[in-house]
Formats: sequence, structure tokens, C-alpha cells
Amino acid sequence: MILKYELKKVFSKKMNRIVLIAALLAAVALSVFAIGSVRYVGEDGAGHTGLTASRHLAADRNRWKGGLTGDKIAQVVSSEKEIRLQYPDDVPNEIYGKTLQSYNDIENFVIGVLTPDTVWDTGVLYQLEDEQAKNLYSIYEKNLQEMAGKYGETPEQQRFLTEQYEKTELPLTYEAKDSWDTIVMYVETYAMILAIVIGFLAAGIFAEEFRSRADAVYFSSRYGRTNAAKNKVMAGLLMTTIVYWAGMGIMSLVSLGVMGISGVSTPYQIYQPYSIYAMTYGQYYLLAVLCGYIASLLAASVTMLIAAKMRSANVAVCVPFFLFCVMPFIGRALSAFLTFFKLTPDMLLNVIECAKNPNIFQIGNYVFRQIPCIMLLYFVISIILLPFVYRSYHRYGLKK
Amino acid sequence: MELELKNVSKEFSGVHAVNHVSFSMKKGVYGLLGVNGAGKTTLMRMLCTLIRPTGGEILWNGKNILGLGADYRNILGYLPQDFGYYPDLSIYDYMMYIASIKGIRQGAARKRTKQLLGQVGLAKYEKRKMKTLSGGMARRVGIAQAMLNNPQILVLDEPTAGLDPNERIRFRNLISELSEDRLVLLSTHIVSDVEFIANQIMLMKNGRFFYAGTTEDLVSSMEESVWHCTVPKQSVNDFVGKYLVDNVKTVPGGAELRILSKVPPTKQAVREEATLEDAFLLYFGEKAGDKDDTEI
Repeated sequence: MILKYELKKVFSKKMNRIVLIAALLAAVALSVFAIGSVRYVGEDGAGHTGLTASRHLAADRNRWKGGLTGDKIAQVVSSEKEIRLQYPDDVPNEIYGKTLQSYNDIENFVIGVLTPDTVWDTGVLYQLEDEQAKNLYSIYEKNLQEMAGKYGETPEQQRFLTEQYEKTELPLTYEAKDSWDTIVMYVETYAMILAIVIGFLAAGIFAEEFRSRADAVYFSSRYGRTNAAKNKVMAGLLMTTIVYWAGMGIMSLVSLGVMGISGVSTPYQIYQPYSIYAMTYGQYYLLAVLCGYIASLLAASVTMLIAAKMRSANVAVCVPFFLFCVMPFIGRALSAFLTFFKLTPDMLLNVIECAKNPNIFQIGNYVFRQIPCIMLLYFVISIILLPFVYRSYHRYGLKK
Repeated sequence: MELELKNVSKEFSGVHAVNHVSFSMKKGVYGLLGVNGAGKTTLMRMLCTLIRPTGGEILWNGKNILGLGADYRNILGYLPQDFGYYPDLSIYDYMMYIASIKGIRQGAARKRTKQLLGQVGLAKYEKRKMKTLSGGMARRVGIAQAMLNNPQILVLDEPTAGLDPNERIRFRNLISELSEDRLVLLSTHIVSDVEFIANQIMLMKNGRFFYAGTTEDLVSSMEESVWHCTVPKQSVNDFVGKYLVDNVKTVPGGAELRILSKVPPTKQAVREEATLEDAFLLYFGEKAGDKDDTEI
């Protein structure tokens, strides 16, 4: 019963309702932006955006759906070469719509494979012989080994990277993945908004008694220092879970409902051939969403602790903003502490960059990747802080 | 049933808000009288385990209340001076929430909430948000929440502060009604709040109890008598400077004064029956409720 009324306190507050409505509107707005950001060029060369653009684009690209064999790659390279011979300066929109658009991802994959750790150069495509194109995976495998050596600074790291690269199943399979590419970008933005909103709501849970001067009745009640304080912590976690997954669920449902889920099983390596995260686009999306959830948990735990300690939400509500919005700027300004800033909480909301870069760390013989590290680290911190939140309420006014 | 204060002190930055108070309370209504800043609220907050005494201990049936923890708070009802609530909850939800943190089961809480809201005259307003209530209505919710767990100890800190005379009378009667079979400690600086309902009066000044007993004993212990006289308007200030003047009433041709003095202030002065308010004036040197210091 305590938990029920604790949640009721959170959701009945006028300001909290306004904030939640704003978060809901943000979900809808971001979905609209996501849907509107996909552009499809028809066979007549006309560009289309809007509700059906994403599905048309997926349908067009899915002409290449299935195993991405050497033959298919050679076909793409050959087609690209022919078109570029015909139109050396600028490809007309009709040709792009009829042909190029459909294999754009595959073309980019080939360029990505051939330019490991160097500047993106589309010219490599035209230097590729037909036979080389058919054997692109041999080049890819060779480069993967080289990259393991290049990115790994110690034998342990090199071994670790080799193991990660071996997890990528070759040949890759292809399916248009634009909806996932798009949504992950908006997931990160929305997760940041939600973390700030959740921080605001969570701070109120432990500051409300002091703000409304209800502390005397609360702490003189039987369970004010024990079960009720535990239930406040529970309410914080439950509120975080409800608000985060409801918000993210709405945004995902609207966006994916319109854009479709084509590409859920497409390997991320199509986009980043040398990523150390062997995953599908569906997993990539889940990773971004999960990291966002951990960021929200962290925001809730930290703000609850600060609010309980300071008996006010004023400072507490600013903390998520600092952690997730200001920290990246500090990280950029203090480039000398690059390693440290690869592990700061804002990285939870920057999975796109984290997944691209081969950031690995080593303690003793143990080598680990950036994303699992920050996920575990901040999940554990979020949980570890909770007993301190409880303790500051449990001992309120009774310190010797 | 015994609540015992043993040499209890509370110090804030070198200032003794409560200074070595020892006292024992059993069943009945105890009126704690003192001007603002006397230490009443600090004492009550210690009794409600909101703050820890700097020295001494508070015992409930021989056991330290801080050691008893939740068991002690289970038999406690408290209406603080500055009664705060959750403004966006309805009266009913507020009561249910407080019932939940008092460990009352949902079914029993519903029943008790309905009963208490009926008793304080708020049954028909149970859906109203707390923030829409008048001061008097909020105070009534305050007393209702304090009674939710049917407490053996009911601590009411300035329960009538800010109420209009009608509300105050209603409140006094309500407290009297609720005081059966429990220990009620009521602090106030308004004498009439406790004059007729308290079995025992404690006078508190500078953090100490300097008198404890019945109203009758307190009044009869006064060496001064109460005098009523009429004086010319221009000499009112002289009387106020010379005597403890309880009341000044302007009448045609002069002013009627109520004066505390061992000797008659004028030849025509008529002796009147002393009240608790007269005693308050005598011991605190000012008329009840006049001074508005910051409460400690």
C-alpha cells in the first residue's frame, strides 16, 4: 500500500504531470522527426519523405536482401563502375532512384572494408577488379587480423580483438536497415530527455517531505524511517522503469510502426566493418535502449541521494543535466584525459560513437570493451547508491 | 502507561533550547504553556523521535524511546506546529498514505479514515485536494491523521495556531473528545486552549519547566490578586508602566483596567477571580499571545 501511494504522490503532482506530458510530446515529436528524416528517391528521380518513404526505401533496397555473397558484391561494384563511366560528374536522380539507391549500403560496406582506419575514400571502389570484388571477404578477413594487431596494444588486447572479430559471421547477410539506423539516433536523444525527466521526478520523491514540510508527520510515523523509506527507493526504481519504458516504447512503436522493422537481423558490420561489436541492428537498438535505461537508473539514484541528503530537489535536478549534457563538452575540452572521458556516464547515451570505435581497456590480463564496461559500472553504481539513499532517511535527525 | 523525561536537554549551537527537563506523564491531558521560543516545539520534536536529545533520555514505560524505534512510533500520534501535507493528494489519499506508513492494513485504514473524517467533519470533502483546504480544515485533517493509529500518546504542537475563534472552540472540543484513555500533550501559547481541558499544566520558559500542576493550584499559588478599576485615559500609560496590566478597555470618560497586583492599584479597585491567563501574564510578564518570537 505504501508503494501505491508513493507512486500516487509522484504522479499526482501538477509539475510532474506537466513534465510527463512534455516527455510524451517529445516522444511523438522525435518519432515524427525520425520518420521525416528518411528520404526515398523514386524511379522518376523525385525525392519523397513522409510516412511511406521509409517502407518504399526498404522495399527498394531489399532487392539485395539475403546473403551478401562475393558475386553480389561484384555485381554492385560492376554496376557502380558502369554508372560512373556514364555519369562521371553527377548521377541523375532517376538513375540514383532506379539503381544506386538500392545498393548504397553494400557500396558503403565495400568502401568501409577497403579503407580500414583511414579516410573514407569512394575511389577505392573503382580500383577494385571484378575478381577482387568477388573475394572481398578474403581482404576483409585479412584486414580484420591487421586491425586486431593495430588496435591492440598488448598481446592480450590483440587476442581479445581477434576473438571479437571472429564472432562476425561471414558472408554477411543483408536487409535494408534504415529504420534502425534512424531510430538509434533518436533513441539516444530521447534517452537523454528521459534521464533528465526521471531525475527531476526521482528527486521529488525524497525532497517532497521537506518541501511540503510533511517531514515531521512522516518521520514520526511507525514506518517512516524503515519500510516507507524502502518503498520510496522502490517507487524511484519503479517510476524510472515505468516512465523510461513507456516513453521509449511509445517512441519506438510509433517510429518502427511507420518505418517498419526491416533489417532487424542485418549485421552491424554492414555499416561498420571493423566494429568490435558483432551484433545485429536489432541488438544495436536494444543496446542503445538498455544503455539509456541504465542512464535513467543512474539519474534516479544520484538525484534521490542528493535530494535526501540536501533535503531539497534544487541541486539534485541539475545533476542529470550535468552528467549527460555538460560532461561531453568537458570531455572535449580536456582531451588530455581522453581515457577517463571514455568511461563517463554520458557515454551511455553515445552508443553510436562507442560502437564505432574500438575502445578497449585492460586490467591485468583482463581485457574489456567500452560499452559493457560502462553498462556494468553505472548499473552497479546505481544499485550501490540506493542503500545510502535509504540510510539518509533512516537516520534523519538522529545523528549524534 | 508512563512517559518520562529524565534530565532531557537539547542544545543548538551553544543555546539550550531545552534545559535539563525532568517530568513524568501518565494518562490525561497535559497542557504545555510557554511563550514562543520557550522550547516547547523542541521538546515535542524530541518526544516524537524527530531529534535526539543532547543529554538525558526519554522513557516510555521505562524504555528509551529511541531504542524502541518503530514500536514507540506505533503508539504515537503527532500534529506538528507547522503541519505540512502533500498538496496534490486528496484528503482521502493523504489519510490512506499516512495510514500506510503507520502500518495500518488497507481495509482497516479505509474504515478508520472514514470514521475519523466523519469525526472531524470532513467526510463530505474527502475527494478535495489538500491544497484547496482552509487552515482550519487542514488542521482538522492534521488531528485526524494523528489519530489514525489510535495512539496512546497524542502530541499536539500549537494545534490552534492560525485558527479563527469558532475553529478554535471546535478544535478544543474535538481534542477533549479524543483525549479519553490516552496521554495527550498539547503545547500552546494561547491560554484558553488548555484552560478547560488540561488536567495538568506545565509552564515552560527558557527551556525549563518552572511550574507543573493543576490550573486551580497554579492560580491559587499566585501571590498577586486581580483587580478591576476605571482610570482616566491620560493615566493609562502610568498604570501600564507600574503594574502588570492584563486588559485595557476604553469606556466613556476613561479606561477599564484589569491589573495584577498584591495591593489595590486604586482605592476604588474591585478584586476579581484570577484565571489561568492571569497566571500566564504573571509568570511570563506579558499577555498571552502578544509576543511573536521565532519558535525554537
